[in-house]
Amino acid sequence: MSKLKETAEKLVEVARDAGADDAIAEVIDSSTDQIRFSNSMIDTSNFWREAHAHVFVVVDGRTMSSDVRDLKGAPDTVREIVRMAKLTPVNEGYKGIASGRFKYRRTRTDPRMLSLRNPARFVHDAIGSALANGAVDVGGTLFVRRASWGIASSKGALAEDGNASMDLSVRAFSQPEASGQAVCVTPTVSKMNATDVGARAADLAVKAKDPVQGEEGKMDLVMEPLMMGSMTVHSAGMTSALAVEMGMSMYAKKIGKMVASEDVTIIDDPSMSSMTRRTFDHEGMPTRKNIVIKDGMLKRYLHNTSTAKRFKTRSTANAGPMIASSFNTPNEPVMFHPVLKPGEWKLDEIVEDTKNGLYLNNTWYTRYQNYSTGDFSTIPRDAILLIRNGEIAGSVKNIRVSDNMLRLWKSVDAVSRNAEEIFWWEEAGPGHLPAARAKKVKITHSS
Amino acid sequence: MIDEDIAEHVLDLATAKGSPVLAEVRLETSDRRNMTIRQGEVHSVSATSDAGMNVRIVLDTGIGFASTNSISKSSGAMLVRRALGLAKAGKRKRKVKLSREKAVTADWKVPQKHSLCDVSNDDRMSYLTSLDAAVMGSGPKVQGRFFDMADGEVERLMVNSEGTRVLSHVPIIRLFSFNMVSSKGQTEQSFREWGSTGGWEHVDAWGAPPALSEEMRVLKDLIDHGKAVKPGSYDLLCGPEVVGIATHESCGHPMEADRILGREMSQAGKSFVKPEMLGEVIGSKHATVIDDPTIPGSYGYYEYDQEGVRAKPRFLYKKGVINEFLHNRETAGTLGLKSNGSSRSEVYSREPIVRMANTFVAPGDHDEDELVESVRDGVYMKSFTEWNIDDKRYNQKYVSREAYFVKGGKIAGPARGCVLEITTPRFWKSLDGVSKKVEFVAAECGKGDPGQGMEVLTGGPMLRLRGVHLK
Repeated sequence: MSKLKETAEKLVEVARDAGADDAIAEVIDSSTDQIRFSNSMIDTSNFWREAHAHVFVVVDGRTMSSDVRDLKGAPDTVREIVRMAKLTPVNEGYKGIASGRFKYRRTRTDPRMLSLRNPARFVHDAIGSALANGAVDVGGTLFVRRASWGIASSKGALAEDGNASMDLSVRAFSQPEASGQAVCVTPTVSKMNATDVGARAADLAVKAKDPVQGEEGKMDLVMEPLMMGSMTVHSAGMTSALAVEMGMSMYAKKIGKMVASEDVTIIDDPSMSSMTRRTFDHEGMPTRKNIVIKDGMLKRYLHNTSTAKRFKTRSTANAGPMIASSFNTPNEPVMFHPVLKPGEWKLDEIVEDTKNGLYLNNTWYTRYQNYSTGDFSTIPRDAILLIRNGEIAGSVKNIRVSDNMLRLWKSVDAVSRNAEEIFWWEEAGPGHLPAARAKKVKITHSS
Repeated sequence: MIDEDIAEHVLDLATAKGSPVLAEVRLETSDRRNMTIRQGEVHSVSATSDAGMNVRIVLDTGIGFASTNSISKSSGAMLVRRALGLAKAGKRKRKVKLSREKAVTADWKVPQKHSLCDVSNDDRMSYLTSLDAAVMGSGPKVQGRFFDMADGEVERLMVNSEGTRVLSHVPIIRLFSFNMVSSKGQTEQSFREWGSTGGWEHVDAWGAPPALSEEMRVLKDLIDHGKAVKPGSYDLLCGPEVVGIATHESCGHPMEADRILGREMSQAGKSFVKPEMLGEVIGSKHATVIDDPTIPGSYGYYEYDQEGVRAKPRFLYKKGVINEFLHNRETAGTLGLKSNGSSRSEVYSREPIVRMANTFVAPGDHDEDELVESVRDGVYMKSFTEWNIDDKRYNQKYVSREAYFVKGGKIAGPARGCVLEITTPRFWKSLDGVSKKVEFVAAECGKGDPGQGMEVLTGGPMLRLRGVHLK
């Protein structure tokens, strides 16, 4: 048995011995390298090493969780958590944890990723390529992420897993207001093509030269995978049953109803080789593919054990972390790896088929005026290219997409056949996304 | 209790290996507690004790930062090796320049009247339940209710190779609420936040239960009676919450020198402000914006920043002129200036970067009533829901939560979904009246990669903007 799994099992035993009715321990060991670059050079390099455990205990319907940061003193900390749980008000919404004799998939991590040294060469390749392809200023980040985790619970979970991946994002400028962004996200070192990422970002930046003020009105939007990654992640969170309960979801009371066009199928696929692959959720339940939206119809919400029982259904094995983090709610079901099913189109064909539209590379700052209706706006950034009669006809700036997210998804009428793994900062992804076109989307700008 | 010997030992290791431009060692311990309730029931309860450290080494060739969640001499030695290797691998074309700062020795502590560690989970639950009861007893149907309270104590020690040693102890507490009011098949949402440094005594001062109760009634009234604004040019009164977000987004962020110099270019973005724009006019003479970390008890309070530089008020826009950027030692050094103490990090595992603290518009000389009476045909936008701004901090949008029409100098009924979509210079140049009373709102500012949520206050007095386009 691996040390992580063994430690997790031991912590569950300690919790039970201290009086916990149920317990989950997830022991995590991670190391991360990050290289940040700006002004076409590396500005800082970071390294993080962490070993810790997320522990969740239940005593007489009272729940308590803790991020146990000192593993050497973990048994004493777990006893203290159980003692504190006994002094905590009853959690009426708690309905149990995943129970069963679980079987888990075996996974494999690229050994080259685990042993990778000096990832700075990828950064230098990306910067060099961007500059060679027309950029005058280049920035971005490269992450190499390695993590192993073991889980145990008092209801039968006992497993271990691990993953390693790297993600490179490059933003290239050809002029002060002309930029392009591209990413490469991969769990396989040999698939990291930094030169291509730099070239793609620069190519978009060159196409975005000399932007003019964009106009207001209804436009067809051809959205690159990066932009789709943002639209998807800002929609996927609302498929959580907790978001539905809290009134923070445009998908409330819409199971079985059309929430997107027939061209849209969204699947949560944690089994896929990706940066967010997981073989079990945070209750230790084996993860699985969940079709969330099929041919435009909402099929299910995402559940952990408690939300499932409150909704009188079964867990979808989407239990999220028990610990709150910046901007995240604890004990919330999460979509691990959204996949938007590819369509039939080539990206070039979508552009050629668009009479009057915008080609959008990326976006940020997506915010909802009302989660329950889906009214939102987002600010396209990097290359915003004008499409006239099927051809790129210049670039624009200073626009905002101000519309309704349900309406946007319902207006999707073309999805590309090629998808790529996406992750950029905290705005886009993670997920596997193709490009797509949405029809007659409202564009506004400042006065 | 932080072991200072370990910090000194690790610093010795960092300076023994080569001659760094600067070596810093930070040790941090914390106890943090969190409780959330959903629809009146406990949703989660957690408590976490943490201890960790970081080493940052600056060489001519680059900056290396390494951290781990343990505090020991052996961990420190590993971090020194890592940080040194990373700094060497940077191969920077231009040398890192840091501002020269005086070495300081300081211990500072935020006092508590009612210590947070003496507050029981029953007390927290009782308080959160009182919020839920206030919302439920307000009258309207509130279909979604979520309250999240977090508090804790953070102790930090920073030592550097120039002889600086700063020890701090900060208790901090914040409350976040989300509520969704429904009426006649329609909904309106409310996000609110309160935050302070200090003890439990702040909770009563926030006045959250009556504020939330009133807000539920306001939102129902908005659904039942609110009318859309006919697009056009109006005078606009902005309440402190709207002033706060606009100030944070269109003054605070673009005045961060790391953005101005491009260091955040691929994530949070650059800035429309350029180094040579100091002294240029950005707004009317009424536009004075201050970022002040030294307000006692404030959510963004600190006495020394994470690089050991003494905190002080920064006048970002002064009487309509671009006056002072927010700096850490790297950005100040690049521009040949002194740091003004704006270097902050969320936690020991994150690199300190340039951040705001408490950012607000300076008070003016009008009573709020005077400002209302001065508007013939306009809108009073008291609070906001959706907002965003582009990555150069030039094009921003605020959608009203609570808003009213103003006709003939009087409040004349609720306005619903009023949109202000405006450029930064237009916003600040339209400003022609400022009230006397400054009010603050707590917020978590996001920046950095990995993202760092930072405690800040935003706020200001009531502002009057003349002739802006509303939708």
